[in-house]
Formats: sequence, structure tokens, C-alpha cells
Amino acid sequence: MGRARCCQAMSVWGPHRKEPRLRGARVAVLALLLTVASADAAPDIELGRYLAQECVTCHRGATSASTIPNIHGMAESDFIQMIKAYREKRIDNAVMQNIAGRLKDDEIEALAAYFFMTRP
Amino acid sequence: MSNLTRRNFTKLASASLGVLGAPLFAPAVIGQAKPKLVVIGGGPAGATVARYVQKDAAGAVDVTLVEPHSSFVTCFFSNLHVGGFRDLNSITHLYDNVRATGIRIRHEMATVLDREKREVELIGRDRLPYDRLVVAPGIDIKFDSVPGYSERAAQVMPHAWKAGEQTELLTRKLNALEDGATVVMIAPPNPYRCPPGPYERVSMFAHVLKAKGHKKSRIIVLDPKPTFSKQALFLEGWEKHYPGMIEWQDPKVHGGIKSVDPSTGEVKTDLANYKADLANVIPAQMAGKIARDTGLVDQSGWCPIDPETMKSKMDPNIFVVGDACIPGDMPKSAFSANSQAKIAAMIIRGELTGSRVFPARYSNTCWSLIETDDDVKVGGTYEPGEGKIKQITTFVSQKGEPAHLRSQNYKESVDWYASITTDMFG
Repeated sequence: MGRARCCQAMSVWGPHRKEPRLRGARVAVLALLLTVASADAAPDIELGRYLAQECVTCHRGATSASTIPNIHGMAESDFIQMIKAYREKRIDNAVMQNIAGRLKDDEIEALAAYFFMTRP
Repeated sequence: MSNLTRRNFTKLASASLGVLGAPLFAPAVIGQAKPKLVVIGGGPAGATVARYVQKDAAGAVDVTLVEPHSSFVTCFFSNLHVGGFRDLNSITHLYDNVRATGIRIRHEMATVLDREKREVELIGRDRLPYDRLVVAPGIDIKFDSVPGYSERAAQVMPHAWKAGEQTELLTRKLNALEDGATVVMIAPPNPYRCPPGPYERVSMFAHVLKAKGHKKSRIIVLDPKPTFSKQALFLEGWEKHYPGMIEWQDPKVHGGIKSVDPSTGEVKTDLANYKADLANVIPAQMAGKIARDTGLVDQSGWCPIDPETMKSKMDPNIFVVGDACIPGDMPKSAFSANSQAKIAAMIIRGELTGSRVFPARYSNTCWSLIETDDDVKVGGTYEPGEGKIKQITTFVSQKGEPAHLRSQNYKESVDWYASITTDMFG
């Protein structure tokens, strides 16, 4: 993620030619700023825990035979992709589309981070 | 997770606090008594609040649950017992796991509430002091809302709108019917526990009688309401699975329910008199007794609440959750009770321990079984708005859906039941 942001920022710099050492210095400063920015944007685990209260209503008792999957310990990127797919109605399930439909991106990330850390 | 970047470290640190359940607040002063939470009612709402406060406050709050019964038969899914899909044990829950978390349980009735002193008196005269109180007594039946009906009459014409003995009585009577029987249901007026419930029950009656090979038995539904939850879906399903067996009458057809006579089985309306071989009378309802006796209800007989917190509008130290409250656009359902309970638990912890609170969000889904593998659902999301819990989004099953979706709904409901009852009772 930080790498993608770095590349985007680089394209903003793109057409301007700088002295090599100054360009290197600017890149270093930018990289540092981006690292600080991405650390400050770490998911809100407490928010994740609060939002997860709704999820465990259905997802608490999952077994291998369940239609409702076990989401504890799920990889964050998988979780985020899945919820966004429900939000965009690319996967069918009326309950999940309804729940996902009101989640913002930062809330989905918070939930993903929370569930990654939990066990059933 | 192989690289411990600063981002991951920050997440790990705060996550491990979350996983351990350590609340992010200043600890109580050593030697000071813990704040006390008393929860009246060990059903879906009460048990959930008790468990969530106990779990998330990690011992910082003294939690006592007052519930007269030593086990809880869920009213939700009790229709599936009537229909022969679940045995009663499978919908009965003990409190052992609740007790094991450190929650004190008093299996007695709460009789008196002293809101000035902040004490609950139990039937054995013990007094429980509280800093915050949750009142979750569920519903009581307004027996006199149907002329001729009474608590005694319910032994002959069960309501089975409080699960347990009444459910078993209704099921026995249903299974004893011979072909050619007349079953009459009097459906309840709004607002009541479980809006699609009466119609799922009618479906279960029909399922049992059809499975027994009945050709002539009929089920008459006398409804004080002009419409009901998931109506189009039920009517379609009844026509498909039980053609000619079920007749639903709205008030314009029957003209008003006049009386019932438990000694003869007669049910009288303005249109006709019926001699019911089985009468299932589901009267109007109201909040449980302790709420009514302690000034927590308004003229409607239900408890008004603040939608941001689930606090009683009558007392800032009291929360009312579950069927007893006025839930705005939410239905009275177990799912709603559990959803409301979690908001109350969050607010209680915030007030007693300084833990973080978030804006309230609620949700509900209701599943109803019409016939084997034909299950329909309705649900929504809710938030505080316009002075109530306001519906934000909704969804409902559609007529003519493929069979696999309806079958999927049923499996989903079974998995939901296992999950939510674990959430409530451990």
C-alpha cells in the first residue's frame, strides 16, 4: 500500500527535472512522510471490535458444515475484498449486502484487522 | 505478516489489548467497590447485555443477572418445534456458561424497584443495589384483549407466545387432531413480538397436518390487522404448498373478533362462528410486569427509550432492551434484542468505566419457514434518527425465487440460531 502511494506521488513529480542529489533528498523526505502517514492510518481496532459485535451475531458459531463462514483469523486482504464485493453487490446474499452496504472503507479495514486477530 | 513494519506493530499492540479484552480506560482506584450492574431478565436481551458487559469490562463491573427460570426456551425457533423440525431440548438453553464468566445469577423474580435508592428487591426480600440497571422482562400477554380469553383459558386455547409449556401444549394438541379438523388462529394486533411469527406458525400447522395426510382439515386465521409481515410471500407459499387449507381473513372480511369460549371451542366473529378443534389465540401484548409496575412504560404499555443509548426515557440509570421497549422501526425480535443489548452494554461500560463509545447502529434479520426447505427472510439496518430507532435500509425475499435460495435461507437460519444463542448464553 505504501509502495503504491509512493509511486503515485512519484508520478506527480514526473515531468520536473531536478538535480540528482536534490531529487534523491526529496524522495527520501517523501518516503518518510508516507511511512508516518501510513502508520497514523493504522486500522482502529477498537472500532473494529465495536462493529464486529454485529458480525458475531451470525458468525460466532461457524463450523465446517455451516453456510455462514468462519471469519476469525481471516487474512485482512481477503476480508476487505469480500466485504467490498458484498457492498458492490457482486456476490449474492441479501443479509451481507445489507450489512456491507453501510460500511465505509475505514470501517471495513478496522473489521478486517480485528477479525484477523481473533479466534473463534 | 512476516515483516514487522511500524504499521503492523501499531496494529499488533492495540489488537492484543483488544483480544485480551483489556478496556482502554483508567483503572478503578484500589479499595473502591466495583460499579454494579443489575440485569432483570435472562432472555435474548438481558443475557446479551450481561455477557457483553462482563466480557468487555474484564471484571471491572460487578454484573448480576436476575432470571426466575433456570433454563430458557427460545420463543424464536419454537415454531420449528411446533412443526416437528426441532425438539424442545435443542431450543432450551441453560445458564451454566453465563455463570462461568463470573456473572452472578439470581434465579428469583424481581418484584420491587426502588429507583431513588437504586435497589432491586427480589421475591425472597433480598435487595440488590445497582449503579446501572437493565430491565429486559420481555412481554406479558393482555389476556382480556380477546373477550372470553384468560390465563386459565390458555390451558385449553394456548397462545404459545411465551415459549416452554405453552409450546408443548400447542404441539400436543396439534398432533392429536383428526382429519377434518378446524384450526382457528387469532393473530395479534400491532405491536407484538415477532411480526412474521403467527404466519410461520400457521405454516407449521399446515405442514404437520399435510404430513399426517389430512385432506379436509382447514386453518382459519382471524387477523385484526389489514396486512402482515412478508404477506405476499406467505400467501404465495401457502397456495403453493397447502392449497385450499389456509384461509386468512382481514378485519374487513371477519368484521371484528367478538369472543372465544374455551369450554366449547367457539370463536365468534361478526362474519361467522367457528367451532375450533384447536384454537391458537395470540392476544395483544405489553411490556413485562416489572417494567409496568415501576413506571417505565407509557400509555402504550411499552417502554420508551433513547435511541442513541437504549436508556429509559423515564430514568437515566435504567436501560430497557428487547421486546419490552419501544423500538422505533425495528421489529420486536431476538435479533433486535441482541442488537439493542450490545449498544446498551457499550454505553453502560462507557459510563461505569470510561471506555470508548461509538454511535449506535442496529440491525435485524428475521427468517420464516413456510415448508421444508422453503424459508423467507426480511431484514434491515437502523440508526437513531427523528427521535427513534429509524430504518435506514431494508431487504426482503422475493416471490417466485428459485428453490435453492429458499433452501439456502433455511440453512442460514439454522446456522444463525446456533451462533446467536452462543452469543447470548455462551
